[in-house]
Amino acid sequence: MEIPYVVTPRKDTGLFNSKIAIWLFLASEVMLFGGFFSAYVFLRLGADYPWPERTLPVLPGLINTFVLIGSSVTVVFAWASLKLRNWRNFQIYMGITVFCAVIFMVFKGIEYNVKFQHQALRLKDYTVIEGHLGYEKEGEEYVLDHNDKKIEENLIFIETSKLTFNTVRFHKPWVDELLTQAEHHKSKIVLAADVTAITEEGKPSTVIAKAGEQLSNMLLEKIQKEHLAARSHNGGERTEALRGEWVKAKAENPGKKGWQIASTVNIDVAALTPKLLTEISSVAFNVEPPVRFDFYPRDVKEADGQSRLRDDTVIDGKLLESPMVFHHVDAIDFQHLVMKAKVKGIDPIVAIESSWLIKNSPFAKEAWEWHKGEVAKLEKELLDGYGLGKDNKPKRVPTHKEMYRIGWKDLGKKAESEGNVKLSFMDTTKEEFFGPNYDARGDETFPGFSVPREQVGFAAKFTPAWNTYYALYFTMTGLHGLHVVGGALVLAYYLFFGRKMYLENPEWLANRVEIGGLFWHFVDLVWIFVFPIFYLM
Amino acid sequence: MADTPEAIKKSVRTYLFVGGILFLGTIITVLVATVPALDVGGHGFDAWDCVLGLTIATIKASLVAFIFMHLNHEKKAVYWLFGSGLCMVCSLGFLTALAIFDPIKDIFFYSGR
Repeated sequence: MEIPYVVTPRKDTGLFNSKIAIWLFLASEVMLFGGFFSAYVFLRLGADYPWPERTLPVLPGLINTFVLIGSSVTVVFAWASLKLRNWRNFQIYMGITVFCAVIFMVFKGIEYNVKFQHQALRLKDYTVIEGHLGYEKEGEEYVLDHNDKKIEENLIFIETSKLTFNTVRFHKPWVDELLTQAEHHKSKIVLAADVTAITEEGKPSTVIAKAGEQLSNMLLEKIQKEHLAARSHNGGERTEALRGEWVKAKAENPGKKGWQIASTVNIDVAALTPKLLTEISSVAFNVEPPVRFDFYPRDVKEADGQSRLRDDTVIDGKLLESPMVFHHVDAIDFQHLVMKAKVKGIDPIVAIESSWLIKNSPFAKEAWEWHKGEVAKLEKELLDGYGLGKDNKPKRVPTHKEMYRIGWKDLGKKAESEGNVKLSFMDTTKEEFFGPNYDARGDETFPGFSVPREQVGFAAKFTPAWNTYYALYFTMTGLHGLHVVGGALVLAYYLFFGRKMYLENPEWLANRVEIGGLFWHFVDLVWIFVFPIFYLM
Repeated sequence: MADTPEAIKKSVRTYLFVGGILFLGTIITVLVATVPALDVGGHGFDAWDCVLGLTIATIKASLVAFIFMHLNHEKKAVYWLFGSGLCMVCSLGFLTALAIFDPIKDIFFYSGR
């Protein structure tokens, strides 16, 4: 069957099929991205933390903008070449367009990777530390997880004497992990007491598991099975008993409404109890002898005495020193602390200088003293350059970020001013893409620092978990990246498989390329807004 | 839309010119945002930077839409389709503004005015 209007336009709309389809699609895309931009404005204006202004590396973003603009020009050239029936030129321009898409995604990949590696930590007093964590070692060897990946020095250590599992929610891989760790420390996890239960109505209780039995997923599953069977049976019995009571109450109070007699309807507990089976909602195991277990911070809510895993396993034991160890600190940010201090009417400088970090880190103190000097210099520079306003106040003053954030570039400048390090052009350029260069600048610029667990407020990599800015950044640039990949695949299809259609019906291929091009221009159009909003504002 | 070979050849020059303007617009936006001497408004990012940045972005986006996407000489149906999408986005913006400038939060509301 011949499909109408693939080349010639319909009389009523004046458009061929795919053109009307792409514009419908683009209209829906405008609404999709428009919704995200609205969300951005909403979240930025309502943020209860200092919004990360101009925080992304501009150079990769700028290059990507050039790349997309360039590709927008080449894709329209590719279409024009087809219209002029010049296949060779079409191939060249379309090839450049697809190559631009690859470059764009490579830069985006680098940018994402840097964010995924970079650690942020908000202390309990709202000071923010940024940098890279070290890796756990045993002797000279790195400790590896089950995927053979190095484990960051951010574990929580608990000298565990007892583990109480929730028999419904226990997470099997964690049970295996606990067993592995116990074996590593030559300890055993054994049932603390006999698990006895009535498993059949009217029968005496039986022993399901004996004290001293070793922990295993099989054992927990066996107890879980009995628990779930008992829970189901007891639920049925309770419903039946309640139904009986209702029938009785209705018979005794004819003509009365349900709500009038509801308060008098109660289950006869004494009559029901013998019919019930034993529910075993939790089961305790002793760790013999007590040993240190290591937990990822995301999995455990730690406390001295009793901690709790996310699957409701209760850990009895002493919380050991579990510092978060930064091998390199590359930024110290007091903006959030100052914001909180101002709300309380505390002078920002007083708040910063009495913060935990300044009191406990000589490096932070030194950096802060140096930074104050830099801010004073900037203040003078702005005053000399722009003078005073009509209200006798300086026309221009340092920003909140300039005053209260010591970024990695500031720390680099400090080290350079002290003559500690001088970077080559290549190293400096590399930093624009990959962030602070620890190897080139060394430990003096970005020293290590240990943060005791009790000072840790919230920690995350620079991922959507860190704050709403990064959540939106990843959502929007990720969605845009998917559009780039999708668009590039379609354009690459025309490039590599379009020859046959070109020979049979060149106008049809030109129309298809025009449609692909329209989508590609839209991708560029979205980036035109994403770049200034996320990178420059 | 340019359909004859002559018209297409002529429009290629326009595409190049628009590409150049887009590059230039990007450079201006970045310079204004990163070079203190070119900073408009106060020091650092402020409302003026926002207005300037978004104005340049809107001009760039319009050029892409009108020249590259041929919206400068399209059929009526396209304007209706794309225009309705844009209207929806504007409504969203209006809803966002409503949420932010919520009259209930207005201090005058509490003072009985």
